[in-house]
Amino acid sequence: MAPRRRMLLKVIILGDSGVGKTSLMNQYVNRKFSNQYKATIGADFLTKEVQFDDRLFTLQIWDTAGQERFQSLGVAFYRGADCCILVYDVNVQKSFDNLNHWREEFLIQASPSDPENFPFIVLGNKVDIDGGNSRVVSEKKAKAWCASKGNIPYFETSAKEGFNVEAAFERIARDALKNEPEEEDIYFPDTIDVTGGQQGRSSGCEC
Amino acid sequence: MTTLNGGMDDEDKWLAEGIAGLQHNAHYMHRALDSNNLRDALKYSAQMLSELRTSKLSPHKYYELYMRAFDELRKMEMFFMEETRRGSCSVIDLYELVQHAGNILPRLYLLCTVGSVYIKSKEAPAKDVLKDLVEMCRAIQNPVRGLFLRSYLSQVSRDKLPDIGSEYEGDSGGLVDAIEFVLQNFTEMNKLWVRMQYQGSVREKEKREKERNELRDLVGKNLHVLSQIEGVDLDTYKGTVLPRILEQVVNCKDDLAQYYLLDCIIQVFPDEYHLQTLETLLGACPQLQPTVDLKTVLSQLMDRLSNYAASSSEVLPEFLQVEAFAKLSSSIGKVIEAQVDMPIVGAITLYVSLLTFTLRVHPDRLDYVDQVLGACVKKLSGKAKLEDSKATKQIIALLSAPLEKYNDIITALKLTNYPRIMDHLDSGTNKVMAVLIIQSVLKNNTFISTADKVEALFELIKGLIKDMDVTSADDIDEEDFKEEQNSVACLIHKLHSDDPEEMLKIICTVRKHILLGGPTRFPSTVPSLVFSALKLVRRLQSQDGDESGEEVPAIREIFMILHQTIETLSFISPELALRLYLQCAEASNDCDLEDVAYESFTQAFILYEEEVSDSRAQITAIHLIIGTLQRMSVFGVENRDTLTHKATGYSAKLLKKPDQCRAVFACAHLFWIDDREGLMDGERVLLCLKRAVRIANAAQQMANVSSRGGSGSGTLFIEILNKYLYFFEKGNPQITASMIQDLVELIKTEMHSDNPTDASADAYFASTLRYIQFQKQKGGALGEKYELIKV
Repeated sequence: MAPRRRMLLKVIILGDSGVGKTSLMNQYVNRKFSNQYKATIGADFLTKEVQFDDRLFTLQIWDTAGQERFQSLGVAFYRGADCCILVYDVNVQKSFDNLNHWREEFLIQASPSDPENFPFIVLGNKVDIDGGNSRVVSEKKAKAWCASKGNIPYFETSAKEGFNVEAAFERIARDALKNEPEEEDIYFPDTIDVTGGQQGRSSGCEC
Repeated sequence: MTTLNGGMDDEDKWLAEGIAGLQHNAHYMHRALDSNNLRDALKYSAQMLSELRTSKLSPHKYYELYMRAFDELRKMEMFFMEETRRGSCSVIDLYELVQHAGNILPRLYLLCTVGSVYIKSKEAPAKDVLKDLVEMCRAIQNPVRGLFLRSYLSQVSRDKLPDIGSEYEGDSGGLVDAIEFVLQNFTEMNKLWVRMQYQGSVREKEKREKERNELRDLVGKNLHVLSQIEGVDLDTYKGTVLPRILEQVVNCKDDLAQYYLLDCIIQVFPDEYHLQTLETLLGACPQLQPTVDLKTVLSQLMDRLSNYAASSSEVLPEFLQVEAFAKLSSSIGKVIEAQVDMPIVGAITLYVSLLTFTLRVHPDRLDYVDQVLGACVKKLSGKAKLEDSKATKQIIALLSAPLEKYNDIITALKLTNYPRIMDHLDSGTNKVMAVLIIQSVLKNNTFISTADKVEALFELIKGLIKDMDVTSADDIDEEDFKEEQNSVACLIHKLHSDDPEEMLKIICTVRKHILLGGPTRFPSTVPSLVFSALKLVRRLQSQDGDESGEEVPAIREIFMILHQTIETLSFISPELALRLYLQCAEASNDCDLEDVAYESFTQAFILYEEEVSDSRAQITAIHLIIGTLQRMSVFGVENRDTLTHKATGYSAKLLKKPDQCRAVFACAHLFWIDDREGLMDGERVLLCLKRAVRIANAAQQMANVSSRGGSGSGTLFIEILNKYLYFFEKGNPQITASMIQDLVELIKTEMHSDNPTDASADAYFASTLRYIQFQKQKGGALGEKYELIKV
């Protein structure tokens, strides 16, 4: 039978504060949008069932804090990610400039076995604002950056209007599926455990 | 005790052991899952979760271990789901079954996991399951383990809260229960987190604080969950959520928690909620521990609200309706008053935030802006001038904000407290600020149009206008100084009124101030003032052009002021003063003021005689004098004679012969002005030219003697020849064809005898001859005249 873990696809959303990470997730999972800005603290995920080729998968979408001071415990949750979504706001140059930082940070912290081919995806969000008149990062520029980083797929989205969100996440799920499972998850016990536990080592209280 | 470094290594080892143990049991758990063996799955998952019972890991490392367990538990969750779907075990049975796990921590993790499936199955109301779980978790009182367990509960229940519109909302439970659940979990977590500081030895306090800081997001995340609950609308937030959170924040009496949680509240809830609950939120501030960094908290709140106000003009009425300014202003006042130990930079930072807020929300309320500045003055008064670089940076931000907002210094000049803050700056910062003010005027092309405003402006920038303290005069960077003075010079041109009377007042005001500047500043500032005043003179003169002949008294007054002002430069920069006098002379010529023009020339000559000593400077000065004098039309015969006499006299006394020669033939122009009756004195022109020839001869001889070759004197004759041709063409009867012929011959002889040929002189001469030929060929009256010259 297919390995159980392949039924779960883990996706991490990264990007600057205020680019719309939570909104994209909420739009995709709950089809809801709020104009209010609410910061995210730590990491938080929602799940969504998706079906491909007659198989059912669970997408575990991790929304993260864009503000560093709300990431006090570190990023251990990057581990085992199958895909990483990099989001920027097409109306804020800085959020685009920081994509590189987010990408590198992810590769260092998550240390996937094949960083060259790890599936990323870039979303240029908030294309709806001011009818596109206030945008400062052109599609061309964004695509050029994506091409320079090993042809990262690029989508322009509007979490507010739901534009391209579904399409982007479908691509994300497919790319995540293609990602090979991490080697380290395969565990070979070298001894047969007969004690049935390792209580002797535990130094915790008896709770 | 291990060393710190050894401790770190140990910790890595413990983590590795924990991971190994976890993987080992997970492996057997997977096998049990693959063979649908529930009993073994429960056994190995419980053993796996036992690894989380460790007390050895720091929160960071514990989080790593927790995440691995977390991922494994997702597989258990799916398994439980399948089990119930298959009907091999009911979810109620599962809920009972997992409670057989030996240790309580694994038991509760499994319970939460099944609980999540239980809610999903809808076999019991979500509210009941959640209530049960959040109560059960009380069993874990170790802070780190308890916080992670509750964070697990929070995460697995995240999408199963009986929120409005959620599929788990029902008759037996709804929004109130959802909120109650999260609030209870939050309260318990905060208690665990706060209590942590009292555990362990006093020596490890620092380490504990660090660990507490790492754990804070687990607590804060509950607030994020609350903010994401659909049903938490303004009323609910105002009525339940915020008061309950604040109650916990205030009562925990822990500064770390209070600071962090306030920051969270501000960041996770929407702006309009804050606006509508300002009183409650701000009311909590005085109840917090005195060590809480309230200035950062309040600054963040105001920054958020400012951005909100800037986002859309539609939200501004909200701000007015809740009297946001009054509330913030009074709250800040209280905080600053209460926290006596707050460094001055903290207070100023708060005022900067409040000012930014005010400018965005109430741009039309200058009185508010002034009020904020006034509060800052009050805080600064009685203290020494600011020297802390962080504080001065904030002050600059404070003072720049109104300039940037209004793009108009005139508005800022209305702020009575603005200059009072400037007074509290050290001279360096004062100058930086003054330059910024001037730059704002220049950038926005603002004209300052009344003497009163000019007075106020100069009061603001006085740091640039005069030396504030003598002691620091040595370490002034010369280039900076020049730049500053340049900007002052530019500024003077922006002081302008269309009303001549007001403009005169402005000029007097400026003069009063710049005369305080001392000799180092005059060369930059005086010329600007002079030209500004001359502009006014020309304006007055053109206005009264119709009633020509009638004198405008103001003009005479301005010239008097000008002369007095230029005089200040006499010793510092005589050459500059001389030029300015000549400018005055030209202007007074146009105003038909002979005596003023004469006086201007007299001053210029005095400077020439007494102060201009460098020979190069003398050459430049005398040519300027000749040129200006030539253009003068105001003089009567007598005055003119006196001045031309002086000019020719000084010309002939220049240091070097060639310079004398050139100045003397330039003087020829003083006696021949086209179409001016009485000013076409051919004889004196000829005298000048003949004298120039004599000097050129002498120069030539000197050059030959010194055997250094031509040294440029070779062209002198050709230059003189050209002057002859000029006056010949102009019809000066004294200049004859034969004189020109003689001169040409003389030059030819000179050139032959001159051994080292001077190429440029040859070319010059050749083209002069070509010109003569050209005029001949052209014919006409002039051509006929030229025919007389035989060359």
